[in-house]
Amino acid sequence: MNTIPLLLYFAAGILYAVHFVMRDIAVGRSGTATLAMAALAHTFVIGMQTMAAGHVPIAGTTQAISTFVWLLALAYLYMEMTTEERALGVFIVPLLVALQFLRALNPVVEKRVPILESPWFGVHVASLLLAYASFALACVVGITYVLLFKEIKAKHLGFFYKRLPSLDSLDLMNARAVTLGWVFLTVGVVVGTIWAAQARSGPIFDPRVQAMSLADPKILGAVVCWAIYTFALYTRRLGWGGQRAAYISAIGFAIVLFNFVPIGYFLTRSHNFGG
Amino acid sequence: MHLFLLGVSHRTTPVELRERLDFAARGLDGALAALAARPSASDAVVLSTCNRAEIYVACGDVAAARADLLEFLADYHGLDSAAVEPHLYERVDAAAAQHLFRVAGGLDSLVVGEPQILGQVKEAFAAATEGRTVGPILNKVFPWSFTVGKRVRTETALSEGAVSVSFAATALAKKIFGDLKGRTVLVVGAGEMGKLTAQHLKSQGVGRMLITSRTLAHATALAEAIEGTVAAWQDLLATLGQADIAITATGSTLPILTRTQVQGVMRGRRNRPLFLIDIALPRDVDPAVGDLGSVFLYNIDDLQAVVQENLTRRVAEVTRAEGIVADEVRKFEAWLSARGAIPTIVALRQRFETIRRNELDRLQPKLAGLSEEARTRVDDVTRLMVEKLLITPTEQLKSTPDPDRVRTYADALTRLFGLDAEEPAQGEPGRGPAARRADDAGKSVTP
Repeated sequence: MNTIPLLLYFAAGILYAVHFVMRDIAVGRSGTATLAMAALAHTFVIGMQTMAAGHVPIAGTTQAISTFVWLLALAYLYMEMTTEERALGVFIVPLLVALQFLRALNPVVEKRVPILESPWFGVHVASLLLAYASFALACVVGITYVLLFKEIKAKHLGFFYKRLPSLDSLDLMNARAVTLGWVFLTVGVVVGTIWAAQARSGPIFDPRVQAMSLADPKILGAVVCWAIYTFALYTRRLGWGGQRAAYISAIGFAIVLFNFVPIGYFLTRSHNFGG
Repeated sequence: MHLFLLGVSHRTTPVELRERLDFAARGLDGALAALAARPSASDAVVLSTCNRAEIYVACGDVAAARADLLEFLADYHGLDSAAVEPHLYERVDAAAAQHLFRVAGGLDSLVVGEPQILGQVKEAFAAATEGRTVGPILNKVFPWSFTVGKRVRTETALSEGAVSVSFAATALAKKIFGDLKGRTVLVVGAGEMGKLTAQHLKSQGVGRMLITSRTLAHATALAEAIEGTVAAWQDLLATLGQADIAITATGSTLPILTRTQVQGVMRGRRNRPLFLIDIALPRDVDPAVGDLGSVFLYNIDDLQAVVQENLTRRVAEVTRAEGIVADEVRKFEAWLSARGAIPTIVALRQRFETIRRNELDRLQPKLAGLSEEARTRVDDVTRLMVEKLLITPTEQLKSTPDPDRVRTYADALTRLFGLDAEEPAQGEPGRGPAARRADDAGKSVTP
């Protein structure tokens, strides 16, 4: 069932790439339509899994990745509609395809362990996924900023010059995405801390809850991310826009992704509720 | 009816003569009114830009229209027609449409692909239609040319990329700053090039224009021309700190902005990007300034390289644009030749109708005995028969794309049915057996 959104994401990725190179508006529109269809199909898949399992499939890492893909697709579509700028899709959609591919490899919805049956858990995961989606957008916008900046600086007004929006609007999009992501990240971390404290003193004993401390790689990773994005926001106030902000958000998202996928699968002792 | 074009353009005529043939100076309305008084040019559109003056007319007789328009051109502009005639070009029907389509698509422009011409063609047509009616041919070909212009613009890259230094500078500024509203431009030096670029930026909605020059009077004059503010020359670096875009165009032989100076300025502006456009020769800005982060330095050679690259790319698109024009001309030609068949079709219908009426009149005494309903039925049946007989030839004639063949068919029909004869030849409607058989057939078709 997870393959239908995957195939649609893949088709959208190809259309966005063709649109980016050929700059054919009709291809671009069909890319957007295909992506919207993929997100819609994905909504159905997640909805049906929620109904079947009785909870939103976000407990295991793989499930959370798929939900993240869905959120990022929606966030990107929202950005495309509000900015009327389709050029960034070619950078975002491949990320959706790669991550959704992980989900297609492991389509099972894991049973939710009793300890996760708390409203705090839902808020915690949802805000972190939203934060990651925002950081993904900020990273992509930042990369395109650097590409365009270098072209203008080198006086070779070529490939990206003709395809990307202005430096100013890319910088603005980056700033907004980082701010939004930072807010969600903060909420997610704070809620996670409160909930972990409650769970530890609660009636159910779970070794994973006991492992929830800064010494756990997943939690440490989240705190490092928070530090990096706080730094990004602070330095922006000092006038570090443009290239520097772009590099910071690229580094930040690299850590987010590393924390999300390899650490989530192999290293964490506290956040392995799925399988 | 024919579409006929007579005109001059930058390709055929030196600027001295083009200036004298310009219609815009005295207003198009006057020219259109004067044209309307001419017998063969009542249906006309005048297209007048700084590079061309063209008159498009729909006329029955091309030679008469040509003579008429030539006389009009000479009279209206007070010129000797012998002096004008060698520079004129003329086109008829599909060739005239092709010319108009190429003009609207920017293919005939001095700078290939320049975007203003389509607007000018639209204005010319609007002026001609205002308050009076433009006939069916011009009413078809002009809106058609708008479509061609639009197709060329959207389907090819013919109009892409700036092809003048000031356009290139403006396009770059937009790529860096996005919207230019709320941005500040500093013009250093009051030369012509600086003024031109500043005007371009101003027309794109720049918020504030600051002008500084060694000679205060020059700065003041330019400030008046472009509605800017004069800044003191000795405050150059402080003023530069406020600007997002700076155009330097002084006559100074030494650089007026060094790397150290600009570095100091950049520190004060928290790395807000600065776009320096150095169009002075020799250069006003030390090239090393371009190495500073957040400074985009373009000198006149850089901008000209951009322009040259864009021009080369445009030329590569010409073939595709010509393909679109050829495609549309073919369609227009088909439409025009279908129109060419209309008089023949009308005459043929009239002939058939006359025959039918005559036959019914002749049978009047016999029909009088029939009931009202039966008489109506006879009328309906005969009319239906005539229509059914004519439907196929009419459609065939209208859908023939080749105008020569349409003419051949029309000639054949005219001959075979004697359509050019004033009155039907004696006995042609016939009292003979053939006519009677037709009557019988008509009865048997009764539904």
